[in-house]
Amino acid sequence: MDEVDKILIHSLRQTGTDVGKDVQSVKHFTSELIVEAVVRCLRVIDPALGSGLCPSLPPGMSARFRVGMSLAQACQDLGYKGEIGYQTFLYSNEPEIRSLLMFLVEKLPRESAEASDQPAGKSALLQKSIAAQIKAQLALPWLSPSCRLPLLCKTQNPGPSHSFHSQTLSLPHCLKVPGKRQLKGKPQNTQDPQENDYHRDFLPPVTAQPSQHASVPASLLEQHAGELSAAQEWENEWNSQGLLSRLTPEEYRSRKRARLQKRIEEQLRTAAQTRPDTLGAHGSGSDLTELLQSFGGSPLIGDILAKGTRFTHTEKFTFTEEPEKAAKQMAAAANSLPSSHQSEEDLQARQQEELASLQQQLQQLSLSLEEVGGDMRQLTVSIHQVSDELKQKELSNTEEEDSVRVKKQTIYLLPDGENNLAKLQALVEGSAERVVNLAAQWEKHRAPLIDEHRRLKELCSNQAMESSRKLSEIKELHEKISQSAEEAKKKEGLYKQLITEFENLPKDISRSAYTARILEIVGNIRKQKEEITKILSDTKELQKEINSLTGKLDRTFAVTDELVFKDAKKDESVRKSYKYLAALHENCTQLIQTIEDTGTIMREIRDLEEQIETENGKKTVSNLEKILEDYKAIRQENSALAAKIREA
Amino acid sequence: MAAPETQLMLSIGLIEKDVNADTLWVWCYPSVSAELREVLLSKCCLTQDSQGLNTFVTFSVQEPSALKKVTHFSLVVTAKDFNPEKYAAFSRVLCRMYIKHGSPVKMVEGYIAVLTKGICQSDENGSFLIKDYDVRKAYLAGSVKDVVSQFGMETIILYTALMLKKRIVVHHPRIEALLEFTRALPALTWHRKDWSILHPYVHLADSELENLRTCTGYVAGFVDPQVSNRPDLFDVYVNLPDTEITVSQSAKEAMAMGKLHKDIGLVIVQSAEDADRTDGQVIKDISIKTREILANLASLAEDCENSKITLETLKQRHFPPATENFLFHLAAAEQLLKI
Repeated sequence: MDEVDKILIHSLRQTGTDVGKDVQSVKHFTSELIVEAVVRCLRVIDPALGSGLCPSLPPGMSARFRVGMSLAQACQDLGYKGEIGYQTFLYSNEPEIRSLLMFLVEKLPRESAEASDQPAGKSALLQKSIAAQIKAQLALPWLSPSCRLPLLCKTQNPGPSHSFHSQTLSLPHCLKVPGKRQLKGKPQNTQDPQENDYHRDFLPPVTAQPSQHASVPASLLEQHAGELSAAQEWENEWNSQGLLSRLTPEEYRSRKRARLQKRIEEQLRTAAQTRPDTLGAHGSGSDLTELLQSFGGSPLIGDILAKGTRFTHTEKFTFTEEPEKAAKQMAAAANSLPSSHQSEEDLQARQQEELASLQQQLQQLSLSLEEVGGDMRQLTVSIHQVSDELKQKELSNTEEEDSVRVKKQTIYLLPDGENNLAKLQALVEGSAERVVNLAAQWEKHRAPLIDEHRRLKELCSNQAMESSRKLSEIKELHEKISQSAEEAKKKEGLYKQLITEFENLPKDISRSAYTARILEIVGNIRKQKEEITKILSDTKELQKEINSLTGKLDRTFAVTDELVFKDAKKDESVRKSYKYLAALHENCTQLIQTIEDTGTIMREIRDLEEQIETENGKKTVSNLEKILEDYKAIRQENSALAAKIREA
Repeated sequence: MAAPETQLMLSIGLIEKDVNADTLWVWCYPSVSAELREVLLSKCCLTQDSQGLNTFVTFSVQEPSALKKVTHFSLVVTAKDFNPEKYAAFSRVLCRMYIKHGSPVKMVEGYIAVLTKGICQSDENGSFLIKDYDVRKAYLAGSVKDVVSQFGMETIILYTALMLKKRIVVHHPRIEALLEFTRALPALTWHRKDWSILHPYVHLADSELENLRTCTGYVAGFVDPQVSNRPDLFDVYVNLPDTEITVSQSAKEAMAMGKLHKDIGLVIVQSAEDADRTDGQVIKDISIKTREILANLASLAEDCENSKITLETLKQRHFPPATENFLFHLAAAEQLLKI
């Protein structure tokens, strides 16, 4: 019980209850102390519940009574199963108080659970401390500037905060450009000397580069974030696709770049050609095609589009000329606009003239447009025709050449027709046989080569499979290594953190002593349980024996009784023995009865003794005296109140 | 000796796909240039009969056979003329020989026999005779009626494009449908009997497109739907599965159609819808109409100097503008235009 009390007192002290140093056990708790302890526990467990209660007992009796009732109600709301009322607090006894306090202390929220959930690691600690600081600052009430203390000024001023402006910085070890990987050991040797000089002599340091000093941290953060994300993305991509493609990093990057360029080309091409076919669009289309041409990869595309644009270029050119001319004329016309002394009619006439001339020009322009258009068509069509003719002529040319050749040779052979025909046929057959022969010989060479090629290809593919399998194994191993390294790091961090926490913990309670005792108690209980089960089984055995013996007895007596009674009718001595038998049986039954009664009474005695002990601990007498006194006090208060009311 | 005909065959070649999933050009006779080999390699493998100037027949090898390690092979016959049935039959004969003997020597024998004598013994019953396969039959084998039934009045667009030697691109995801459809198109201009404009199976590869660009007018078939994003390749785009014909912007002006076209269109549609007329007769009807127009044009040409037409002569006749435009371009296509 001492240990339990010590734990209780310690927990109560932690909730804020002021338990004196000399109070060592719950027996010595006064009512005030009990009330204070319960209220503080309630406040910790459930602030809403406990906020309405006051930790100190008021002097007035009725007030005390009320406080007791509300406390009892609160404890019942929390879920206390035992019997509780105002008497528990005002007229307390030890076991009740102990069980109530244990219930409350168990209900106290556990702080230890939170600590174990928190992640370890330096960044987590940093974040936690930042959060704690901000919470503390937010908890302070905001004061107007004139009332502020200098300490608060620093945190409540809007001064230190700036909006997030960032500017691009230029660093000599810039890793943003892919392909130019610079090794950490030799930063400057791989660049050209002019750049080195620039970096060394002219480039201002990073803190001086942004235009405003306030944007230095923002710019640094952004730069770093950009580099970090680029590096991470490259890592991810390389680990997932790059290794599979089995190229060196540079090759992989250049291939990726070519792929992306091709896609951009295609997109631009489709965008350029979905434009509507208006005159105005021709101009922008030709700009876009020039852009495409500059990609260089497809001169054909450029040619095709240029064919069209050559004409559009001329068109565009003529059109730009005309608007210029027209603009010049407009300017001239504007200059010759009437000054203030010229008359209205002159003005109108002049305007009409200008209108007429402009219209004429327009007509001329449209005429020339049509002409040019017609010329264009004519030319395209004739180009088609001519190229067609050319092709056809070429084809017929080659055919005729062939036929001329054959005919020449036939003419040569014509004089001796029959003979030559036979000779030719023989020649043809001979060459056919020769060709077949040659084909057979070639086949002899070809087949093994093809087989060899196939065999080597198979070998190659098998090796490729092997290597890809090994590659995947290596990747797995890498992953495992990185995982275990991370875990080890985490565990070490956690270990360090826990060590520091452990060192910071108060040493007043020794946990190990408690755990040892608990384990001891558990062992004891186990042993007791075993003993109890043994005793129970023994008792059962005994009871079974008793039952069987009683049964046997009854049966034996019944049989004997019958036997003797049968003979008792005839013989006198048998009658006597029968009477003795009956008496014996009765006496024995009485004996057994007495023994049983003795046993029951002894049990009752034990129970009663236990009850006496508990009642003794309840200090009932003193409580009764207190109750009487309080009752008298309440009666007095009641009469005083009644008198006051009568007076008022 | 069927000399002019046999000279039409240029070469035969063998492409094999083996157990390593490798496609190799294993044998050819007499010789095939490297670029052509590349092109043919890209087109074979799982291609059934393709027509035009090449023929492939693909066989898959079953056990037991004399060929080890080969899962499929393709036979390529390059020739100058258009006669798919002839070359298909010939290829099948050669392929069977190859499967049976496992060596191309027998194929060479067959090939030379056809080259020299026009006949080849096949292992099955009968033999392969060149004269069984007339080229006219090949020309007529394409079904114009199907084309008209699929496109109806829009067939006139195809007719105009072919007459004016424009570039037509046909798209269909399946190559058999592509082949069937495109082989019928040159029949619309029967008076030229020119099937060299037909390129039924083209990939979007630079070398092939280069080849296409050198032709003024062609009918090209593509399996790749990306070709619709290449308006530089066509004047008329036919989307077979959706039965859509689009004329590209640059050609709209040249392909403007008027009353004359409506007449022709009606003739075509009526003739094709008539269930009693065969394909040959439909083609004949169309060619009659074509000849009328050409005769008209020729008479115009005679009136001019040098037998060549100029735009002014056309303008003098005061045709409606669409007809005038059409006749102008047609004159260019038929080489009657003064340059």
